[in-house]
Amino acid sequence: MRRRETSEGLRGYVMAEGRRSHEVRLTIPSCLECLSVLDKLVEGVVELLEMAEEDANAAAISVVEAGTNAIQHGNKFKEEIPVEFIFSLDSDALRVEVRDRGPGFNVEEVLSADPTTPEDILKPRGRGIFIMRSLMDEVSFKIEEGDGCRAQLTRYRKRPE
Amino acid sequence: MKASKRMEGDVAVLSLSGKLMGGPDAEAVRGAIKDCLEGDTKNILIDLGDVSWINSTGLGILIASHVTVTNAGGNLKISRVSKRISQIFMVTKLHTVFETFETEAGALSSFQS
Repeated sequence: MRRRETSEGLRGYVMAEGRRSHEVRLTIPSCLECLSVLDKLVEGVVELLEMAEEDANAAAISVVEAGTNAIQHGNKFKEEIPVEFIFSLDSDALRVEVRDRGPGFNVEEVLSADPTTPEDILKPRGRGIFIMRSLMDEVSFKIEEGDGCRAQLTRYRKRPE
Repeated sequence: MKASKRMEGDVAVLSLSGKLMGGPDAEAVRGAIKDCLEGDTKNILIDLGDVSWINSTGLGILIASHVTVTNAGGNLKISRVSKRISQIFMVTKLHTVFETFETEAGALSSFQS
């Protein structure tokens, strides 16, 4: 009962118009199994934001995908290197920053790839960022030498027309 | 992820459960598919009813399975796909590649037609 009261209180706080962003942070080792913890956190966050099922699934799929990329391609499965997630809960949107410590990648090349073409649809790799861009409203990457790669994902509660 | 296999007539039903996300999961599925084909079972149904979520690496496992079975002259079908996984199939257009069924019974009967 106490947990429910706390959850309802936080929901009211987050959903109040004009409130500043409320942050939730998670740091995990670079292991795929740890993505289960991330998935559970996303589940709780989308519930707080009262997102519709399709929107909630889109956010969960995309954040897990960003985590997968950070572990596989950014930190190269080195468990001692952390992946950090910062969830910004606003009344209008869910914003998530995913940070790894890798050297980054050629953003233009990856963004121009289309894994749904007949030539590429049977390739087993190369869908992660495409999935994020398809399901989120905004996806961007900040890559700075020595500072790792930050993926920034936004899903609005009311979709832009 | 856990994988278990049973036979329904001439169809091998490979039931996956948990999270399909690469790493050891790929080897488990690849091994099960290989066993089926080496045992001359070419009709394979992957049941995803107990898979809670999948990432792009897990998708790669399903694609590799599809290619392996098709190249061997077999048929691979998928049953009980959750809304969340179905959403991934749609955005990646893999719903045009995978033959999916709401129920295991529906999938099994489709192998006979």
